Amino acid sequence: MNNRLKVLRAERDWSQAHLATELGVSRQTVNALETGRYDPSLPLAFKIARLFQMPIESIFSDEE
Amino acid sequence: MAGKRKLIIQSVIGFGLIMLAAFLMGGVLAYLETQGQDITSSAGALWAVGGFAAVTMLISLWVGFKWMSSIDEAAREAHKWAWFWGGSGGMAVGGVLVIMASLPQAAAIHIPAWYSERTDPAAYAATGAFAMLTLMLIGYTIAWAWWWLGRR
Repeated sequence: MNNRLKVLRAERDWSQAHLATELGVSRQTVNALETGRYDPSLPLAFKIARLFQMPIESIFSDEE
Repeated sequence: MAGKRKLIIQSVIGFGLIMLAAFLMGGVLAYLETQGQDITSSAGALWAVGGFAAVTMLISLWVGFKWMSSIDEAAREAHKWAWFWGGSGGMAVGGVLVIMASLPQAAAIHIPAWYSERTDPAAYAATGAFAMLTLMLIGYTIAWAWWWLGRR
């Protein structure tokens, strides 16, 4: 699954550590999410969407 | 993160207390032996150590539960993945050894027991269980590292 997490984070000038703190996860988890090698659970995906104030489908995509 | 720090401190204290309790139990058993009591054939000592081991395992499970509850979902997924694939991989290696050990030819092999050079059935059962556990833990560690390395 692809996502725009890295772009959205960069737009806000946030570090991975900052985003991790906001989401209540580790920096390693944020990195795994950004590289698309780990797909978040629905609760975490909703949390991410709320944080960026965007619909989930604007952040995550199942297209290759 | 403060919660995790607290858990780590609690785990270290818990581990320290277990070590202290083990040291005290060893001291008590050694003292009783110096007083002429035959500890090695005492059923009471066997059950006392068994009870202590059971309490230790329960505390370890509780710490494991608290630990799993404190980490995030990716870290939890890594542990679950490692437990299944690493543990199963280790068990598969151990399974080969179990099958080989069940063959008549294996009767001639002299495998050292893991403590006190005992060669009775209970010692060999403990050796086998310990060997299987070790293989599973090795597999677990490799699988856990593999999971995270693949997501760097």
